[in-house]
Formats: sequence, C-alpha cells, structure tokens
Amino acid sequence: MVNWITSIKSFRWWLIAIAVMSLLPLFVPSSFLRICIMANFMVIFAISWDMMSGYTGYVSFGHPFLIGIAGYVTAMLSSQGGFQTTHIVLPLYATMPLGIAAAVGGGMLFFLPSMRIRGPYFSLVSLAFLMVLNRLMIAVRPDMTGGDRGLTSLPYVVTGAVDNYWLSLSLMFAIAIGLWLVAKSDVGHVLKAIRMDEDVVESSGLSTYRFKRFAFILSALTAGIGGVFYTHYMGSISPSGAFDYIFLLNIIVSTVVGGMGTIIGPIFGGYFITFFVEYLRPVLEGAWRFLAYSLVALAIVYLRPGGFYAIAHDIAGWFRAKRRGGIQYDQVT
Amino acid sequence: MTRLLEVKGLTKRFGGVVAVNDLSFHIEEGEILGLMGPNGAGKTTTFNLIMGDYKPDIGEILFQGEGINRLQTYERVKLGIARTYQVPRPYNGLPIIEDIRISTIPDSITKCLRGQKQELEEVTQIGESVGLKDRLLKYPGELSLGDLRRVELAKAVALNPRVIMLDEIFAGLTVHEITEISTLLVEKRKTGLVFIVVSHDLKALAPLVDRAVVIQFGHLIAEGTYDEVVHNEKVKKAYFGM
Repeated sequence: MVNWITSIKSFRWWLIAIAVMSLLPLFVPSSFLRICIMANFMVIFAISWDMMSGYTGYVSFGHPFLIGIAGYVTAMLSSQGGFQTTHIVLPLYATMPLGIAAAVGGGMLFFLPSMRIRGPYFSLVSLAFLMVLNRLMIAVRPDMTGGDRGLTSLPYVVTGAVDNYWLSLSLMFAIAIGLWLVAKSDVGHVLKAIRMDEDVVESSGLSTYRFKRFAFILSALTAGIGGVFYTHYMGSISPSGAFDYIFLLNIIVSTVVGGMGTIIGPIFGGYFITFFVEYLRPVLEGAWRFLAYSLVALAIVYLRPGGFYAIAHDIAGWFRAKRRGGIQYDQVT
Repeated sequence: MTRLLEVKGLTKRFGGVVAVNDLSFHIEEGEILGLMGPNGAGKTTTFNLIMGDYKPDIGEILFQGEGINRLQTYERVKLGIARTYQVPRPYNGLPIIEDIRISTIPDSITKCLRGQKQELEEVTQIGESVGLKDRLLKYPGELSLGDLRRVELAKAVALNPRVIMLDEIFAGLTVHEITEISTLLVEKRKTGLVFIVVSHDLKALAPLVDRAVVIQFGHLIAEGTYDEVVHNEKVKKAYFGM
C-alpha cells in the first residue's frame, strides 16, 4: 500500500513552502509579486509537462497546444469584443471549465493516437500539432479568434497583484501536490519504468498505453487549468503569445533545470527561469538574454543532470550524513 | 497430458528473410521443453511471436486451446505467459527489489492510486527464492551476469505465470552458475510452472529438459527427447555441418 505515513511526513515541506510563500505579499512590493505570479504559472505549465514528458520520456513539443486550446476557448466565449467581431458572452464559471474540457478533449483527439508511436516521432507529431493550431487560430474564423492579433479585453478572475498572487499560488500548490501524490503512487513508479524500458513494462503485464493515457490526461487537465487562469490573468491571448516557441522553450527548460520526472524540481526551475529572465531584462536585450539563460541552463544540466532537485537532494544528504556522523548507504546510491 | 501452449504453422518474414518458417510445436502441463537451434535459427523470434512483440504473417498461437494472436503482450502475460530476455533488461535506475516489484503492480490505475502496493515481503520472498537474498537492495550495475539472469527469472516468477520462456538463460554463465540455475528451475517446476528453455548450449539442457525441439532457419528439424534430438542427423548437420 502507498506509504501514507511517509507521505504525511513529507507534507511538512509543502506546509513550510505554503506558509512562507503565502506571507510573501507582506514583505515584497507588487512588482515583485507580479513576477511571482508569472513564475507560478510557469511552474504549473512545467509540472504538467513533467507529468507527461518527464515521467514517461515521451517528449512533447505540443504543450502550448493544450494551454492555447484552453485559453482560446474561454477567451472566445467570454470576450467582450476587442478584435473579435463575432462573440458570445458567457460567465467565467462556464467558460473556464469549457476551456479545460477542450484542452483534455482536444488533446486526446490529437495526441493520444500519436502516443502509439515512440521516441522522436512522437515529439515531431506534437510539434506539428502546435504549428497547425497556430495557423488555424489565425486563418480560420478570425472574426471569432481575433486572427493574428488575438483577443483582448478579457474579463479577469480577480484583480490586483496580491489577489492574483494568492490565486496563482493556490493553483500551483494544488496542482503540484496533486501530481506529487500521483507520482508517489505506483502510477508514478510505472511511468518511470516506461521511460526506462517500455517493452519490459509491457512484458510485466501492464498496459503501457493505459498508464501513458492517464499521464497525458493529467497533463492536459493541469495545462488546461493553468491555461484558462493564465489567459484571464493576462486579459488577452494571441497566437504569437500562446504558441510561441520561446514559451515552449521556457516550459521545457524550467523542467529540465529543475529536475525532470520529479514534480518538485519544476517548481525550482520555473521560479529560477522566470526571475532570471526578468532580472536580466534591464541588463541584456532580446536574444542576448536568452543566450545567457540558455548557457546557465546548460551549465546546470552539465554539472548536475538531475537539476536543482538533485542539488537540493545532495545538500540534504550532506546534512543528514553530517548529523549521523558519516556517509550512509542511501546517500551513496 | 493437456497442451498448455501450442504454435501452429507459424511464419514470420522480415522483408526477404524468413525468420520463422511454418513452425509447429507444443508444450504440455508439467513439462520443461528445450527449444534448440544454432545461432540465427529463429528461437528468439519465436519467443517474440508468442509474447506478441511481433505479429505472425501466418499461423496461430494457442494458449489452453484458445487463439491468442489478437492479444496484446500485456494481455498474454495476464493469461499466464512470461518471458526472460536473452540480454537482461533491468531498469537501470531502480534497486533490484523495486525492479521485481513492478511485476506485481496491478494493471489498474484505480488500484495503483488507491495504494494497493504489493507488500515488499512477498517480493523479497520471490527474490530470495531465486537466490538474490543479499542483493535485493543493490542496483543492476553492481550485479554479475548470473545475478541479472536471476533477476529476470524473479521478474517472470513474480507475474505468477503458467509458463515461463527462458531466452538463453545459460549464456555467459560459469558451470557453477548453470548448475545453480538448473537446480532452481527444477525446484520451480515442482510448483507447477512450465518452462520453455532456449539455449544453443546443448550440454546445459541435457539434465533439464523432458523434450526438445530443434529449429534451423526457422523450421522444425527434430523433435523428441534430448538424446533423440542430439543424435538426429539433421541436428548434427545443423550444429556441426556433418
């Protein structure tokens, strides 16, 4: 059975993190909080990508596809006008679930058949979906989608930096803890095994497709939740923003730098990447900024392939060893 | 005796190469069957066809009298067919005990989420039963080839199958290790397990198998007791060219 005692014991770190981060608005200016809000959304996207690609090894380049579908559906149904000439106005409590459902449904329709192919082919197919959706949003019914200018004047869920911070933080922790519990169960164990050797998992009497499908649905669901809230936080959505390759790159780099297949790692990675890029903004412009962050990301992965999660694990192990008075077996391995 | 597993007229082509050619044989309850043949005879391909890794071009695979051609690999495993690999395939990031435990995980998301994990005690017992007692917490890189083959066997046994197909289980092992694993198989057989043992090492199979089939170029060339097949002219020619 799942070792719930260990899980409950492990919750203490989540509680400490929630407590510390909830108190942040008392000590920092709203400009800092706005960066934290962006970081919280980046973490949600990175964690949802990790659930699928980090755990199973099926590297998806189509993650913004899921975020974009969710964002566009809720935006089209709730838009007050802007660049959109044909519009229906529904309340957010109706449009947001529809957006999330569209991410899961659309994702299943397009991605699930491609999960029967493996390796780089899956990645290429997912990239193709992203490119196709980008063009579709511009070309098909621009009166509804706003064409290449997208949709603006979208209603907000809450207003103000503090309220948005707490909302994004709550979402981020709810998703992170939920997926962390899944990852700690045997489902996570099987998904990791699929990444190591899918044929052997199948020979162990387990339907790898069933487990991959579940991971994908969770990934799409959480990406959809992040997508709808992100869209209504920004108040606008456009093809160049939702399906941008830099956006995709940020999600992947956040996960890789944080530690793939860990759920916790992308929290570190998402915050690191968002703050790093923001704080470099006044110092380096455009491409130079991305070159700098790419080099830092490469350096981290080169020095410690497990990313921040592995570094944190090393540090914790060192302290444990010091307390016990020597290096223990579990630290060595 | 009842036929547990049977292949009928199995043929598999890869482009112009006929890997398995109109092959038919069966295994009965309580039996250890040797599947013999020189390198490239099509033994592993036959295993892959039985497991569902490949689909046969022609022919039928029957388990307890029912056709299983349409079933996926994991469905065949659930019926009671398990295998080991010629080159051991451990999960390199996992300790051996966790590696074996994957074979005990239920094929159900709900059960996995509910936390119905197989108790490690049972997995430990399986590991101990194949002689891995003090190596269960080690990682694959720390084990010898002989121990990795034991891990393969433990993973197959943990599936609680009716028949286990052992692919070149003796390859690369010392005489001592071969004896140990043979003894282990004989012990396991007493629990009702049925084995198909692939080996091109004829001597290793001698004390173990009840019956043997020999294939060459994917085609059956001899069938009978071990002594009968090793003295068969076609078999001698296949192995020694004489």
